[in-house]
Amino acid sequence: MDAPRSNQNQGETAVKLHLISDFNLDTLGNCLANNDLSPRVTAQPAPFGQVFPTLLQPNSDPSDFALVWTLPEKIIPGFEQALNGEQVDETQLRAELNQFGDCLLAAQKHFRAIFVVSWTLPGYRRGNGMLSMRKSGPRKLLLKLNLMLADKLEDSPSIYLLDGQRWLDEAGKNAYSPKLWYLTKTPFQPKVLSAAARDLKAAIAAVLGSSRKLLVLDLDDTLWGGIVGDVGLENLRLGGHDHIGEAFLDFQRAIKALRNRGILLAIASKNEENIALEALGKHPEMLLRAEDFAARRINWNDKAANIVELAEELNLGLQSVVFIDDNPVERARVREALPEVLVPEWPEDKTLYASSLGELDCFDSAYVTAEDASRNEMYAEEAERKRARATITSAEEWLLSAQTAVKAEEFSEANRERVVQLLNKTNQMNLMTRRLSSQELQNWLSGGRRKLWAFRVSDRFGDSGLTGILSLEVDGGTARIVDFVMSCRVMGRNVERVMVACAVQYGSALGLEELQAEYLPTAKNKPCLTFWTSSGFGQKENRFSWPLRDPYPFPAGIEVDGVLSASSTSGGTAVSAQLDSRDSLPQLSN
Amino acid sequence: MNVSVTQTPQNGASRFDHVLKVIYASVSELNQQLPKEQRIEQTPATVLFGDGGRLDSLGLANFIVITEQKLDESFGFQIDLTADDPFSSATGHFRTIHSLATYISDLVTRKTEG
Repeated sequence: MDAPRSNQNQGETAVKLHLISDFNLDTLGNCLANNDLSPRVTAQPAPFGQVFPTLLQPNSDPSDFALVWTLPEKIIPGFEQALNGEQVDETQLRAELNQFGDCLLAAQKHFRAIFVVSWTLPGYRRGNGMLSMRKSGPRKLLLKLNLMLADKLEDSPSIYLLDGQRWLDEAGKNAYSPKLWYLTKTPFQPKVLSAAARDLKAAIAAVLGSSRKLLVLDLDDTLWGGIVGDVGLENLRLGGHDHIGEAFLDFQRAIKALRNRGILLAIASKNEENIALEALGKHPEMLLRAEDFAARRINWNDKAANIVELAEELNLGLQSVVFIDDNPVERARVREALPEVLVPEWPEDKTLYASSLGELDCFDSAYVTAEDASRNEMYAEEAERKRARATITSAEEWLLSAQTAVKAEEFSEANRERVVQLLNKTNQMNLMTRRLSSQELQNWLSGGRRKLWAFRVSDRFGDSGLTGILSLEVDGGTARIVDFVMSCRVMGRNVERVMVACAVQYGSALGLEELQAEYLPTAKNKPCLTFWTSSGFGQKENRFSWPLRDPYPFPAGIEVDGVLSASSTSGGTAVSAQLDSRDSLPQLSN
Repeated sequence: MNVSVTQTPQNGASRFDHVLKVIYASVSELNQQLPKEQRIEQTPATVLFGDGGRLDSLGLANFIVITEQKLDESFGFQIDLTADDPFSSATGHFRTIHSLATYISDLVTRKTEG
């Protein structure tokens, strides 16, 4: 089954991908150009065989991507010796690998992201059969080299190793074509390159933060076999000594794995809610329980309408949603009513459910953070918050009762991945909607008088994790807020005001005169304008300002912790603003 | 598209039609990597390579490999489409889909009838 993603939007800006290789990749360029899936990619093949010079002096823009696909025997000369049956010293192999790895690491500053393809060998390279996995055997050395390369690149924030073997498997036994090699200096047949093109597009989409975030699932004959309302929970096919039951259990396992990676789960099922919940809660082999789902609509309403509600409840756009249902009529209905929702064709054969889910590349992500792993719990906590909120009459009373705590911390290696993820994924509360790679952010911070803080939020219901970013740039007597980003999970809880108050306190400590912010409108960041308009700042169109001689009040009832050190933006003078909300002024009115 | 070996026809005319189907299946696979305006029409008269042809030498090489594989799947034996220089205008068997089908049918006949 082909794994669909969204088709390209008309007018979508093309991403430039430099193809750096020691063989001819022109066919891959064609596959990328003629693949209609989003994002649009323009391939720029570098002269093949010029891997090192191209990496060290690329003719690229920092927003460009690069693919580095090499043949192990070309890039690691010692490996070619091993293929020729010569004894090779592992020290030599390691030195050659390090040279290649160092070159990649040096090149990362030139690109938004670099994709490196893991090394493979054609099936006909048997390496003396039984000796292939022994000392200096080619297969053993290849495994080692790939592992060493993975280790070497492990800590790079913008280099990703892609699994080339998967593309060969997809193409089958003729993946390598000696004829094409002799005719065109391309070792792979076109099917391999088509598979590579699909994975590359998914990888670029992941780096750009446009992966899907919510999986909406039907229940009967999707999560388990049978109609629970008809046969009862004791007669559902799930687990047990039954091939179909085992297939459903494996499907649930695959869904749980997505959940553990931070993909939100929701239910859209036509059922009696109490009966469906009883099955989720009481079936002895049920792996997914009600609490694994961030939201649910179990009723007899139109599923498209239910999906819209689910997306709204979870503060997500429909372009973040994937819907899986065994019923082709329901799939067609949702596809027609909600074209932004991805509805994969689904096999009738239940034994193919888990593998079909595994083939979907729309959930690919560039990293998994601690926040991802606990995202479903955070949404469950949010649901609890909403229930508690409903019992309290005023918004102020509610905010006081929540016992919110905010911790500010500086940008560091420890929070880098999550900061970059939040910066690239957040749409609604985002002042300028800058999308930057880790390296680009690092470069930006190291130029001029610039600072970035991350904010962690918790309350009596749970820990929302790192959910806010504020960066600013100092120019003369003015500090300008550049990034003002907040996860929708903590919006409307006065954390916005805490962040602004921190920036004001910081600017005051530096003796600056004014704090400014400029709102850049997008199709999705209206909530950010709404906040800034009510922030108390002076406003001229989309520009906001605050005189730093005046303190900005921390909102009441929120405990704030952290130190905003100013040493690197103040031209060498170490200044610290110890955050202290105990002297809070009365809350500004909304 | 896989054309089953059990359906392989024995007489000349139907063998030609069978080869044509294999070529069309190869064209269909190749078209997936070609820009819309360069996609190859599935008609016997379509010019593949040379003056007015849709394929450059890289495209032709890819087409050859795809077609050889499909012929192998269909007839159950390997057919080398590069034994006579495919890029030469003198041989010209890759000029049109019809000329290619004729060329392949002859190769198949030679293979099967010794």
